[in-house]
Amino acid sequence: MSIIAEVAKELLGMFLADARLTTTTLALVAIVAGLVVALRVEPLLGGGVLLLGCLAILVETVVREARRRNAT
Amino acid sequence: MVTVAWSVAGPAIGAAFLASLVEVVEAFTIVLAVGTLRGWRPAALGTVTALAVLALMIVVLGPLLDSVPLHLLQFIIGVLLLLFGMGWLRKAILRAAGVIPLHDEAAIFASESEQLAEAASQQRTSLDWIAGLTAFKAVLLEGLEVVFIVIAVGAGRGLLWPAAAGALAACLAILAIGIIVHKPLAKVPENTLKFGVGVMLSAFGVFWTGEGLGIDWPGQDIALVIFAALFLGIGLVTASALRRPTADIAR
Repeated sequence: MSIIAEVAKELLGMFLADARLTTTTLALVAIVAGLVVALRVEPLLGGGVLLLGCLAILVETVVREARRRNAT
Repeated sequence: MVTVAWSVAGPAIGAAFLASLVEVVEAFTIVLAVGTLRGWRPAALGTVTALAVLALMIVVLGPLLDSVPLHLLQFIIGVLLLLFGMGWLRKAILRAAGVIPLHDEAAIFASESEQLAEAASQQRTSLDWIAGLTAFKAVLLEGLEVVFIVIAVGAGRGLLWPAAAGALAACLAILAIGIIVHKPLAKVPENTLKFGVGVMLSAFGVFWTGEGLGIDWPGQDIALVIFAALFLGIGLVTASALRRPTADIAR
């Protein structure tokens, strides 16, 4: 049973390693999907938002974590 | 016969190879600890059983993926790749900047050996069982990530076999090196590899998610290379900006 629990934990950890990174990335994807699919915005514009958003999220979560660790 | 552009197949094979290299090194360290302390029989048994479970997962999941519409599959895998790849890249940047410590295979080897020795002193009757289980868990848990990466970078464009070949090549390479050196592979530039894999998986994630949403990327497959260059550039600049003067960034 503990192996199944560890496998489940590993699987979850693969995608949910950092809560902030996960939630902001999912929110970004939802926004882009809303723009492209629901609001019929030019798809390439949505693609640009997705790409730049991901880069921004990456930098923000890294900088935030570095500051948090430096503060402690 | 279906032909696949190298601009897509190359990153898929490369990502599977490099990611597998990292994971296999981690699993190898624990299997080596088991083999050294308790003999190679339980180590090999645990490893082979875990590989069989992983193979079974691929056999079961593979046909299931064929029944999912392509755009939906690309979208789901793209989002998972984004979460997974950016998670790896985030950690690799923090390690490169010296904010969090590098992965130390020698320390992990020592820690696993200590745990097995402790188990030996407490529970003499089922030592081989414990050792085999330790090897099984290590290979299964590290292998899960390899299976996901192979499926994720391969499933969207019929690249499952090339990606699987990349992963297998990594396994064989580490096995061959491991047999020769017979100690933890502490000199593998693990964080550099993780950095590279994180970059590639994040690029794939943006690409697949976009395609899943119906976005036609300019330049088609070439866009992947541009995305990877952007993630790499941003990652390196961020790591450089955060780097502590005294940090150990040798790897």
